[in-house]
Amino acid sequence: MKFAEQLEQIVKTRIENDSLTLPSLPAVAFKALELTRAPEFNMNDVASLIEKDPVLAAQMLRLCNSAAMATREPCKSISQAVSRLGTKNIRSVLVEISARRIFESRDQKVGATVKALWEHSRAVAQLAQRVAVVAGAADPDTAYLAGLLHDVGKPVVATMLLEAENQIAQRNPKLWIDFPTWLDVVQRCHRPIGLDLARKWQLPEEIQKAIEECADYDPANRLSTGNAVRFANAVAKQQGIYAGNVSADDNDALVMVGRSLLGIDDETLTRLSADLKEKSKEAA
Amino acid sequence: MPRILTVDDSRAIRMIVSKQLQPLGFDITEAEDGNDGLSKLQGAQFDLVVLDVTMPNLDGPGMLAKMRESGNKTPVLMLTSESKTAIVTTLMRLGIADFVLKPFQGEELKAKVLKALKLPANYAPANAAASPSAAAPAATAAAAPASGGGERALVIDDMENVHKKVRSMIPAAVTLDTSLTAPEAMTLCRANKYGLILVDAELPNTSLSSLTKQLRLLQTKTVLVAMVLRTANNVTGEMRDQGFDDVLFKPFTNEAVEALVDKCFLDNQELVTVQENFLRVAGFHGREDKLERYFLRLMAKLKEVLSKVAEACFDSAVLDATALPLTQPMRAAQFMADVSKAASDAGVALRVVGSAEMAAVVGRFEEAKAVRLFQSVEEARAAA
Repeated sequence: MKFAEQLEQIVKTRIENDSLTLPSLPAVAFKALELTRAPEFNMNDVASLIEKDPVLAAQMLRLCNSAAMATREPCKSISQAVSRLGTKNIRSVLVEISARRIFESRDQKVGATVKALWEHSRAVAQLAQRVAVVAGAADPDTAYLAGLLHDVGKPVVATMLLEAENQIAQRNPKLWIDFPTWLDVVQRCHRPIGLDLARKWQLPEEIQKAIEECADYDPANRLSTGNAVRFANAVAKQQGIYAGNVSADDNDALVMVGRSLLGIDDETLTRLSADLKEKSKEAA
Repeated sequence: MPRILTVDDSRAIRMIVSKQLQPLGFDITEAEDGNDGLSKLQGAQFDLVVLDVTMPNLDGPGMLAKMRESGNKTPVLMLTSESKTAIVTTLMRLGIADFVLKPFQGEELKAKVLKALKLPANYAPANAAASPSAAAPAATAAAAPASGGGERALVIDDMENVHKKVRSMIPAAVTLDTSLTAPEAMTLCRANKYGLILVDAELPNTSLSSLTKQLRLLQTKTVLVAMVLRTANNVTGEMRDQGFDDVLFKPFTNEAVEALVDKCFLDNQELVTVQENFLRVAGFHGREDKLERYFLRLMAKLKEVLSKVAEACFDSAVLDATALPLTQPMRAAQFMADVSKAASDAGVALRVVGSAEMAAVVGRFEEAKAVRLFQSVEEARAAA
């Protein structure tokens, strides 16, 4: 069996055996999300909780004060940040910060790729949110999170693949896998892992569905979150915001169908995607 | 006249396609499957084929493949319920101009047909003057730019009394929509274009900065104003940071609302819309004391437009002035006389379309007697 096939088989076996250790939501983020699900929760309680995790608190302040969200007066405290964000945005921000940690790697080979994957995810999130607004497709904030997490399985597979590759290579140094093939394996294996992660994090079903079904559109539910994410994914790839191999023809077909499915004309699409590359790099 | 072949095994679909496209002056031929379509293509030249995928005898991809194999490069617009990537990729590789997914909106079909035929988005049939039914598309095509956000306002506030208050202060010529919540407002913003949107800064369960971003996605030309309490400190800067253009203090004063309406609907108004040598004047929605400013701005704009008409070598033009206010008849008559003179100075013979009331006004004033006035666009065009 070729080395690449061997690695892919190892990954698939671990998925099938349910022997993967999936990243968890940081404990404080998990508790804060639970708190915000209560009908009459107190913002001050949420702020106090977040303050207990200095890393999470610092990341929240940084995100709040980033170009995308900043106002003239920067946020100087978590209470301020929480109050300014409001309920819906707090949840999105907590999930985004938690997801960001998954897209980090100190390994040289993996690091640059997962960074590119994160930028792609941000681009898809921004565009899916905008498409949801313009087309009236589902909830824009849900579309944002679904876009952000649609490829969340990829960095997990990438890390797993690296571990497996290192273990095998120690026994047989002559074995190696070229980078494009390595990326192909990640591409083929990531979806079930991403779905498992979404279930573990108790993310809404719409987000789980968007991660699970990323190939073709669902014509029966034109304005679904999943369709908005699929379309945004194809447009981001068309703009070169992606790490991996893309079939240009398949991708163009997805964009062409998506424009009709979601009722997005050329002028609107140009406007919605104008600053995508620039926005995907913010806070990366 | 563009010739279009519509190929679909559903008679209902073929009829809908014909109904949508015939008013644009296109000649539509129908075929019920791929074989029928190929046979029709052999017998005549078409400018566009509108093609279904799933059909008996010979399906859409099959027909398209045979067309391309035989060297037929007629543009093809797919009209199908088939959305699978693999099938659409095959079609794209064979060469298609665009794609419409069933069920479809007539406007999408028309827009994509016009694009595939390389015609302008506001295309009107050349014989618009010849028949009353054909006149509507011409008027619609010319009207479309004028309706872009000028005379409509939206109030987003969870208190109905605020809606009533704004309604009592906005001029009657401005259509006012109201909504109690942000989601309701978003639905309205997808359906209409607004020149002014007033938003309660204390709208419950709403992030103002998210709301303004979403409103701007849907309403590219609107003025966004936050309604805030008079007692709030340093609020104008804060609201601008949240994405608003301006603030309006509650409780409102007549002067503040009037100033806002002037800013949105007078200062930003597109006074003249132009389609080649067809000009249309926008109406007036402000207070009576602003009418003179309207006439002065309109005259300046018309002079500029008439120069461009002359530069494009049109020796005549039609001016639809049905929306011109006649509340000051003498002023309106003077205006018409001045416009005719400006046209004449530019070497352009001007034919004006106006109501019977305008004809009466023009008839009463010596200065305006030289104005060539017609009751309808068709009459004015036919007088060329």
